[in-house]
Amino acid sequence: MKWKSFLPYFLILPALAYLVFFIAYPLTQSFILIFKESDIQVLKVLTDRNFLMALKYTLALAVAIIPIQVALALILAVIMNKGFKGRDLALYALIIPLIISDVAGGLIWYSILAPYGFLNKVLINIGILDSPIYFFGYQFRNMEFLAIVLAELWRLTAPVFVMILAGLQMISKDYIEAAEVFGATYWIKLRRIIFPLLKPTLQTVLLIRTIWSMQIFGIVWVLAGRDIPVLAGEAYYQMTELKNYGVASIYVLVIATLSILLGALYLKFLKAEYLEVKT
Amino acid sequence: MKRAVLSLFLIGVLAFAVVASGCVSKEETTPTTSEQPTETETTPAKLIWVSSQLNPPEERAFVEEVILPLFKKETGIDVEFVPMSHDQILTRLKAEVESGKVTIDLVTEGEVAMRELAEAGLLMNLDGMPALTGRTFIPKFVEYGKMNGNQKFLPFLSGTYIMIINKKAFDYLPDGLTKEDVIKGTDKWTYDAFLAWAKKLKEETGSPKVGFPAGVKGLFVRFLHGFMYPAFTGSQVKNFDSPEAVQMWEYLKELWPYVHPASTTWDAIGEPMLREEVWIGWDHIARFKDALFEKPDQFVVVPVPAGPKGRGFIAGFVGVGIPKGAPHSEAAWKLVDFLTRPDIQVKFVERGFLPAVKEASEALPEGPAKILATGVTNQLTTPDALNVLIPGLGEKGGAFKDVYRESFKRIVLENEDMNKVLKEEAERLRALFKEAGWSGELP
Amino acid sequence: MSEEIKRKLKQTIFYTLIFIVVSWVLIPLIISALYAFASSSEYYNPNRIIPHSFTVSHIKTVLITLGALKGIKNSILVALLTITISFILGVPAGYSLAKFVFPLRDSIKLSIVGLKVFPLAIMAVPLVKLYIRLRLIDTLLGVALAHTVIALPYVIFITSSIFVGIPKEYEEAAMVFGLTRFGSFLRITLPLALPGLAAAAMFTFVMSWNEVFMAAVLTLHNRTLPAQILSLLAGATGGATPAYYKFAAAFIMILPAMLFVFFARKYLITMWGISLK
Repeated sequence: MKWKSFLPYFLILPALAYLVFFIAYPLTQSFILIFKESDIQVLKVLTDRNFLMALKYTLALAVAIIPIQVALALILAVIMNKGFKGRDLALYALIIPLIISDVAGGLIWYSILAPYGFLNKVLINIGILDSPIYFFGYQFRNMEFLAIVLAELWRLTAPVFVMILAGLQMISKDYIEAAEVFGATYWIKLRRIIFPLLKPTLQTVLLIRTIWSMQIFGIVWVLAGRDIPVLAGEAYYQMTELKNYGVASIYVLVIATLSILLGALYLKFLKAEYLEVKT
Repeated sequence: MKRAVLSLFLIGVLAFAVVASGCVSKEETTPTTSEQPTETETTPAKLIWVSSQLNPPEERAFVEEVILPLFKKETGIDVEFVPMSHDQILTRLKAEVESGKVTIDLVTEGEVAMRELAEAGLLMNLDGMPALTGRTFIPKFVEYGKMNGNQKFLPFLSGTYIMIINKKAFDYLPDGLTKEDVIKGTDKWTYDAFLAWAKKLKEETGSPKVGFPAGVKGLFVRFLHGFMYPAFTGSQVKNFDSPEAVQMWEYLKELWPYVHPASTTWDAIGEPMLREEVWIGWDHIARFKDALFEKPDQFVVVPVPAGPKGRGFIAGFVGVGIPKGAPHSEAAWKLVDFLTRPDIQVKFVERGFLPAVKEASEALPEGPAKILATGVTNQLTTPDALNVLIPGLGEKGGAFKDVYRESFKRIVLENEDMNKVLKEEAERLRALFKEAGWSGELP
Repeated sequence: MSEEIKRKLKQTIFYTLIFIVVSWVLIPLIISALYAFASSSEYYNPNRIIPHSFTVSHIKTVLITLGALKGIKNSILVALLTITISFILGVPAGYSLAKFVFPLRDSIKLSIVGLKVFPLAIMAVPLVKLYIRLRLIDTLLGVALAHTVIALPYVIFITSSIFVGIPKEYEEAAMVFGLTRFGSFLRITLPLALPGLAAAAMFTFVMSWNEVFMAAVLTLHNRTLPAQILSLLAGATGGATPAYYKFAAAFIMILPAMLFVFFARKYLITMWGISLK
């Protein structure tokens, strides 16, 4: 039937309309206003020292955190997928960091890593250290970087884990049972059945996680201030302190472009087509 | 079966939520339907007072449980105190004024933020309001709140930045400097003496004991342009790249090794001082007041050191204004009257705030409030006091701060060639003032 | 080594690992909870690692003086509303992206990605004016709609990847037995997708629960929890607030969300024994 081929569009229309109304429209309005009023040279912004540093650090953080995090979450999800005594509670414990907002997470880790924070107090009192390890301060930018990595690994592994676990749970037991009938070992099951079927989930997980990391902001500000500039943080600073809406918009557009580029990459390389209906 | 239950539950939740939020919105549309801001009103239902100051829990409790009930008793008017950050206030107020449906009656923010609101055309002129008698405002502050001859906001509380010393630090005074010198702000309490003290503290305790709030939201930048520059060059902006300025930056470079490195992540000095990570600190009194109240026996509030050209410091204030098109401007003015009345101002002084009217400065009860007020008074009255105001640049205020921040970062933290940096930043600074339409001499 | 001992060894290692991971997650939380309840003198004592004396006064101040109780109620309402609206809009969209191949599909996906990255703050003023015009200002429904804007892309993507994982054979089998497409969606696909839906619901709840800027700007009365108390953590005078208040505020923020996740987590693990044959 003719109308059937329009079904996918109908299904997606309400959501798209909503997004257009609430984001696309005010957004374009804002941009037009901004670019009309200010005369910014895009190239000047893109070659500015602060911008390049922000770009470097944003990407560096993503590269440092995401692979470890996804691997960790994957392992955890596979482990949690089996039943064992106490799994329920362990699962709950692992999920909890999901709830923590980035600012709260930063606050918690700041208090742990501060010169008289928990970690240092413990190490000094045990006698391992004489004076505290400095995690914060402009001269200790590398330590600040480490602090951010630690805090983000702690906080954001939970949602990644949840998404992967959900995906794992979705894999039909039939496939696994069929494989067992043919005598597949644990590792073969993992490699040849579960991972391929997990691809769509992984694609989404990587996509979402990367987008988040392009926007990393609150936690960096709490832990490192502007010692470690990041794109979203600098955009915020440009907008609220310097009132350079034009420059801030460029930063935001860079974030958007990066996200879309990476998104396109993921879409291309992690396709799982055989499970779709072709109309 | 389970699904049916689930979907019924969802529908129930949705219906409930829509109804609940509908009830909520109905409640709120009643007061705001009085859209004409005419003066023919009887006692209104509620005033909405939005503020980026007085937000910490105890201060907020003080406003809501002490001050506002007194106001209600006198006038019968209810006031809702809504703490918001400056960004939120700016966004909300702009949207309200531009769409013509204002719900906010009163705004209090720091003086620089108030100027920004005024420049964006968001505050109404107060000149036409009934006169406020029986009090003397600090004239410099009233002047600051004027734009193009119109009074846009009045001073509500005053504030300044001071040095706080943990009494422990006095055990490490350098030669030639006594405790009295520091507390009274004599001519021995200079930046050179301060450097010697900082050095001794680090060498004898093993770690730097001086701290500054040099974090993202920290006010260290004010120390640079409002304290150091006047003290070394006699002005904030005019002599930005003068030889005296070069001396100042050299001094800062010498000082920095004795300053706690985590300073670049601190937004306020109160917490680090309470944790005893540093023993000498500098900050705005609002950022330190609660710490002082926490451990009044441990700290002393002192004037800042003096430089070659004097003892530079900033006197600032919290301004109060009424949005353009506010629904209950008459009643809001009553609140302004109330808050700036000497007897109410005294109540604020008792809690450690500084007043904006001269009549309230007299009463100083014992305790942490007195420690604070004494230190501030000493700073204000030393013979070499060099009082400056933050230049009112409205929107460009942030860019102004950025010049000093960047200069500091490049010269002291990254060790760039000082003359190059000063030249570049001076250009940026002057261009900024020009863009902001600054008339007359540079401050 | 005998089989029995090998097995026991494996088990011990396994449980140890689990224990380490769980503690790694929980310890920072426990510490911050301790700080929330620590009396102020204990908190500032440089020689105390674990506070010895506790008080509920910080929590009480934040809860009552700052009206956090009301805020909790409002936040829950907004979060539930957000989940409902974003699911109604997002689940069909996710299904469509997953099950059909149609032209523009990839570009639509990418444009949703693109839209997701814009922080609402950059268009805050036009957005608030829009709300004022729609008479949604100062309403919880308004905040929920704003939150839906943030949540929708995530719901669409997560549900889409979940639906992709459900083999089309199941739906087709159901249709052979006389169910319409919609019917088979309801009875077959949806229950199977439960873990994914639970995950999406959890994220949406948490996001809405923590969202502070739009909530603070859109409502002056009847504010959500973050709007009420998070001016403590950030903002101009945020620096002045003693740290234990910040911990107390964080603790109050975390607790109700923990309860929600506690209930939702059951759906994350499909019930054993769902059989389709």
